[in-house]
Amino acid sequence: MEKTPNNMFWHGALLAVLLGLGYSIVLASQSIEYTWRWERIVPYLVNTEPKNEYAAFDGVATLSAENSIVTVKPDNGDMPQTYEAFTEVMVGDGDLVFAGDVIGSNSDWRLGPILNGLLVTLQISMVSLVFAVIIGLFVGLARISSNPLLKHLSLLYVEVIRGTPLLVQIFIFYFFVGTVLDLDRFTAGAAALSVFAAAYVAEIIRSGIQSIPAGQMEAARSLGMNYAQAMIYIILPQAFKRTLPPMAGQFINLIKDSSLVSVISITDLTKAGREVVSGTFAPFEVWFTVALLYLVLTGALSWMITLLERRMASSD
Amino acid sequence: MIKEYKGNDMIVADSIDKYYPNGCHALKTVSATIHRAEVVVVVGPSGSGKSTFLRTLNQLETISSGSITIDGTSMYADGTDINTLREEVGMVFQGFNLFPHMSVLENVMLAPLKVSKRSKRDVEDHARELLHKVGLGSRIDNFPSQLSGGQMQRVAIARALAMKPNIMLFDEPTSALDPEMVGEVLDVMKSLAQDGMTMVVVTHEMGFAREVADRVMFMEEGELLVNESPDAFFDNPPHPRLEKFLSQIL
Repeated sequence: MEKTPNNMFWHGALLAVLLGLGYSIVLASQSIEYTWRWERIVPYLVNTEPKNEYAAFDGVATLSAENSIVTVKPDNGDMPQTYEAFTEVMVGDGDLVFAGDVIGSNSDWRLGPILNGLLVTLQISMVSLVFAVIIGLFVGLARISSNPLLKHLSLLYVEVIRGTPLLVQIFIFYFFVGTVLDLDRFTAGAAALSVFAAAYVAEIIRSGIQSIPAGQMEAARSLGMNYAQAMIYIILPQAFKRTLPPMAGQFINLIKDSSLVSVISITDLTKAGREVVSGTFAPFEVWFTVALLYLVLTGALSWMITLLERRMASSD
Repeated sequence: MIKEYKGNDMIVADSIDKYYPNGCHALKTVSATIHRAEVVVVVGPSGSGKSTFLRTLNQLETISSGSITIDGTSMYADGTDINTLREEVGMVFQGFNLFPHMSVLENVMLAPLKVSKRSKRDVEDHARELLHKVGLGSRIDNFPSQLSGGQMQRVAIARALAMKPNIMLFDEPTSALDPEMVGEVLDVMKSLAQDGMTMVVVTHEMGFAREVADRVMFMEEGELLVNESPDAFFDNPPHPRLEKFLSQIL
């Protein structure tokens, strides 16, 4: 008789192991007498502090009917200044105001440095991802070309990029290429990441194309398609489907590798984390938060690729 | 039955030789002429060069020396566009080679749309008609993976016919099929022969060769040894090696 594992038991065991791991973290932090202050992180995620607006000169304040627009008429007869959309108005109609007085305040939610860093990480990862795929596609096609120039040049590219550390490449792109071409730090960082990831994408695309049976190319060519048409309509769509799982891994690596651009002072998630640590003295909380946010990015990406894989599986 | 060929040569292979890069001499000075509307079956033991010969006829294999002329166009002449030439020559493979990421209808429609640049409506009407003709009018929205081997091979035939070729090459079209599906594919090929298509068929189906072929060729070790009418080929083998081959398989 076939033996079925006792699923209830093993799921319970999994839960127990996870709880045990969590408890060990609690014990570990107790042993070093660390006081967790998660509330300190919140203002660095979402900044709810009211933002004050100050008068630029001495004058007389006039309020509009709904008390939302303040006009300050300067004493010296210059153009009056208007302030709009306050959540709280601090002056009355006809009040004398002096330069530097608080006229009103806005308590809108703004993104804190950590979430701003998350946006920068997302931005640089997405830009690099798009360029990595474009460069990688061309390098991958050049790798399987029968033209010696294209073949050897692409091989050289892949070997050089894969054989040197990304951190060193970022420095070279920022200090050398960036200086020669006068690039800003974001462009230099995105270029380094794109060129780095493209070498791996090229190898993934090459192996994907080579995994398609030769008969597919022969069938396409026998119908009168030229090489480019056969590639575009027959080979690449099939290769793309096969390369999705390794490509997902490469994209996730790209997001994680983007943390290295913090060394050239791009305020990405990692750099924001370092800055917040020095402001809060709460390194444990900050780094756990930063890790969680990276996990959200990579998790969302791998979820999207799983969806894409499922949609493309319709012909299997 | 004797066909009138009117002197119209569709395929002329003139002393072609083929060496593979590893030095293997796959075709040894093979010459053959195939007329319009003729059905030629090529048989021989495996490794005899019959598939290689067939694949040189649409340049899936290049030749080392000699010349090939398709419907008056010299294949290796300057100014000959091989892609245009291939539109004239349909090919059906042993392994079907359907495009797995496309539906049956898309498989048939792709090349006429992208290569011949015919209108979508015209192409779709033609594709439906062809699929109906090969008995798959009800499977047009299926993917290849949902079809049996025999059905896939019939789609492959319809796909090749969609380019309106003058010549059809068949490379062991039934060898990868389960025995019960061989008949349906051969029936399609027979009706194609009756419609006057010029066909070159590499096969092990001796029944088909005897019944449908106008001529049967026997190849061994890269040489074309026999090129005869089916009656002479089977009833009175003109070559001792053919005699031996036939005694082994029949």
